[in-house]
Amino acid sequence: MMQITLTVNGVTKALTVEPRRLLADVLRHEFGCYGVRFGCSHGACGCCTVHVDGQPRLSCIAFAVQCDGMSIATIEGMPKDGALHPLQQAFIAEHALQCGYCTPGFIMALAPFVERGTDPTDTEIRDAMSGNICRCTGYDGIVAAIRRAIGERKRVDSD
Amino acid sequence: MTDRTPHQPRFVGARILRLEDPRLVSGQARHVDDLVLPGMLHLRLVRSQLAHATLASIDVSALHAGFPDALVFTGQDIGALGIRANSDLPSVQPCVQPILARERVRFVGEPVAAVLTTDSYSVEDAAETVFVDYDALPVLADIETALAPGAPAMFENWRGNLFIEQSRTGGDIAAARARARHVIRRTYRNQRQAGVPMECRGVIAALDPTGRILTVWSSTQIPHLMRTYLAQELNWQENRIHVIAPEVGGGFGVKGHVFAEDVLVAWLAIRTRRPIKWIEDRREHLIASIHAREHVHVLEAYVTAEGKILGLKADITVDVGAYSVWPFTAASDPGMVAKVLPGPYDIAAYEATYRAVATNKCPIGTYRGVGRPAAVFSQERLMNEIAIELGIDPITLRERNLIGQFPYTNILGYTYDKGSYAESLVKIRELVAPDVERARKPEKPHIRIGVGLALFLEQTAHGTPDFVRRRSPIETGYESAKVEMHPDATVSVDSGLQCHGQGHETTFAQLVADQLGILPADILVRHGNTVTSPYSVGTWGSRGITLGGGAAHRAAGIIRDKLIAIAAQHLQARPETIELADRQARVKGDPTRAIGVETLARWAQRNVENLPPGMEPGLIAISFVDGPPDGSYTNAVHAAVVEIDLSTGQIKLKRFVVVEDCGTIVNPMIVDGQVRGGVVQGIGSALWEHFVYDKDGQPLTTNFADYLLPSAPGLPDIEVHHIQTPSPVTPLGMKGLGEGGAIGPAAAIANAVENALGVPVQETPITPSRVWELIKKRKPIAAGGV
Repeated sequence: MMQITLTVNGVTKALTVEPRRLLADVLRHEFGCYGVRFGCSHGACGCCTVHVDGQPRLSCIAFAVQCDGMSIATIEGMPKDGALHPLQQAFIAEHALQCGYCTPGFIMALAPFVERGTDPTDTEIRDAMSGNICRCTGYDGIVAAIRRAIGERKRVDSD
Repeated sequence: MTDRTPHQPRFVGARILRLEDPRLVSGQARHVDDLVLPGMLHLRLVRSQLAHATLASIDVSALHAGFPDALVFTGQDIGALGIRANSDLPSVQPCVQPILARERVRFVGEPVAAVLTTDSYSVEDAAETVFVDYDALPVLADIETALAPGAPAMFENWRGNLFIEQSRTGGDIAAARARARHVIRRTYRNQRQAGVPMECRGVIAALDPTGRILTVWSSTQIPHLMRTYLAQELNWQENRIHVIAPEVGGGFGVKGHVFAEDVLVAWLAIRTRRPIKWIEDRREHLIASIHAREHVHVLEAYVTAEGKILGLKADITVDVGAYSVWPFTAASDPGMVAKVLPGPYDIAAYEATYRAVATNKCPIGTYRGVGRPAAVFSQERLMNEIAIELGIDPITLRERNLIGQFPYTNILGYTYDKGSYAESLVKIRELVAPDVERARKPEKPHIRIGVGLALFLEQTAHGTPDFVRRRSPIETGYESAKVEMHPDATVSVDSGLQCHGQGHETTFAQLVADQLGILPADILVRHGNTVTSPYSVGTWGSRGITLGGGAAHRAAGIIRDKLIAIAAQHLQARPETIELADRQARVKGDPTRAIGVETLARWAQRNVENLPPGMEPGLIAISFVDGPPDGSYTNAVHAAVVEIDLSTGQIKLKRFVVVEDCGTIVNPMIVDGQVRGGVVQGIGSALWEHFVYDKDGQPLTTNFADYLLPSAPGLPDIEVHHIQTPSPVTPLGMKGLGEGGAIGPAAAIANAVENALGVPVQETPITPSRVWELIKKRKPIAAGGV
């Protein structure tokens, strides 16, 4: 067992964990972040994506002990001041989800892409989605949601 | 059974954003794996490593030494419990899948032993220590081996390795052949696939403290059917089993079965008197849930000089794997093909033989489309090949064979309600005309463009007679809903369906809001729970909105009538002059005579002295809606535009266009989403997804690196166009549409590849290496048109 400290969505906890325990399991069961989902457990579908020190990472192929001292954000931490993140809102507006199982992973993987301040083509948007699998939507709605969220960001920036 | 809303619909037909989405985008949805119960034990299955073997021994001594607190159960402990999925059609050879294998294993991944510990990690360690001694048997790895003379029988008392072999006939096939100018015979093949919802399966079962009530939380599409099966198999009273499907992360038919694991987890909870949790991992899902497809069809068309098909003969073989699945059985896929092959064409003579072959692979079950993607692949490839052989434009050939008048009773006796087959062809021809032009004049010497289409029907919302004819355990085909208006005029809808992405919480609220003159936001739609909902067969078969939604619409109509009756007395008006809208009951054309729905709802339950004399209190109604005997037929045309690099075999899908007609549309946003998602699954079938076994029955594509799913890059936007021909035989004219998207793409893409290369495509998936083989067969001929 190892002693680690994780800060998850702003909450810091000291934990004693087995070295082999996956970050996803610790986030789910120690922090109650059940929006972190296992889709494949081999790093191929993106369902489990979280932010580790601001970067999208796959929590199903990371050990919690590797993240000792780091700051982690999950889908539960995305709303700010009670309002959904613009990408979350755009997912609803563009019907970018059906069963919704993969949705937290998509949002965590793509929020930084939306926020980086560029104006991507649809091909670039699709390439940015390449690490995430959605089995329901056929992806069109997700492309539209990213496009909408980028438009919203530009509108806010220009205000 | 046409039902109409009494006034102009306000919400049906509108693009309402989904009421379920806020919890789904914010991580607040709770799936089976998110449920933790005190004292819960985690289950890990020891699964067969061989495709076919006798079980010599199972040694658990290392397990007991290393994990003294672990519990272990084998087939000897669980006894004769099994999955019994047999129809009583005459050719059926019955079988039982043991819940845990006993004497023999029949596919890699079959459950052999159950290990329980208090932790999901240690249970995997413990299961690793179980030593199973197998004596290998000859492996029936494919259709040819299984059907070879002298092949070992898969089950005792079987003769040959067929679950079923049946025929369906209509008309005079010999006369059709005799009159034909052309006999066109082709063989088509579709590969084995996996269904792959993003959430794997999961089950938790627990007894209540009294031991009287067994609650099962399962990622199932069929809660009531699971309850019935568990009650039968465990010999429990059905009123003491509660099945709850919490949030379910996709299903696509895969979760529309009762699996060995479901029965096992329930049995273990009773046996150990502890809550038991089993969460499938992705490898288990890929090798041991259900698979789909793996068809071989030999078709023979008898055709006049003008291209009229006089008769069609079909020989349909499906490699259905090791066991028959409950409730749809091993006959589901081949039987579906035999049923639907005549499609949208007027064919006067038909003869189909279909068979389900037992092999040492994962059982085939229902996956989006169920037999129809393969049937339409064969049907629409054959139409193209006839067109090319006779030198007729493929659309013209289809038009010459198309059904023209509705209702139409086909050669097998199925009656098609109204559709837009001819109009959809006209529309698609216009939509892809620029691509057809581009295909005729390639711009680069090594690039070829091809345009292909697939025209098809989808039988949806079929009623009980269709299931009775199958004589399989599904037995019936109705759906149900309970609608209750509370004293504050909010409404609960309890549907017997289970929603795993279809948007029922929104579309059912739209239907009910229009009936009751309230807002969708006033309505809470619950589903997937046998405790709260009336009996129903669950979510599958493109039936949810038509039958389940239809039931909600009708139950709400009963409440509407009661509200109006109360209002009529108060307003001193005849009931037929009163409408419900804007949360009011009001006399049409006289806005001064109105009373709030909330007042009426309160009177009906709290101040019942205000009710008309003799009226019972309460605002609750239940409706059961059975489908029309032959269902309602949704129609669609799919068109694909491909670009092929002759120097590499690379194939790019440049455009995919759908023209579909699902009758009355409740929410166009959700319809488009269902179509697009289905189409992309169909594109996966056409181009990438292939579950591969080696000759020893060992699975080779057991993760997402080897089993290729469609991902966003490389896909075009899916263009969806609608024609709305309301059905005359369903509530509000709605038709189902959940599966249609997945049915057409393989055929459309194969036809496009044929158009690009001038070489027929007889098999999916159309991988670059297969395209390369086709390129090598090219002759400098031009395949005509689309």
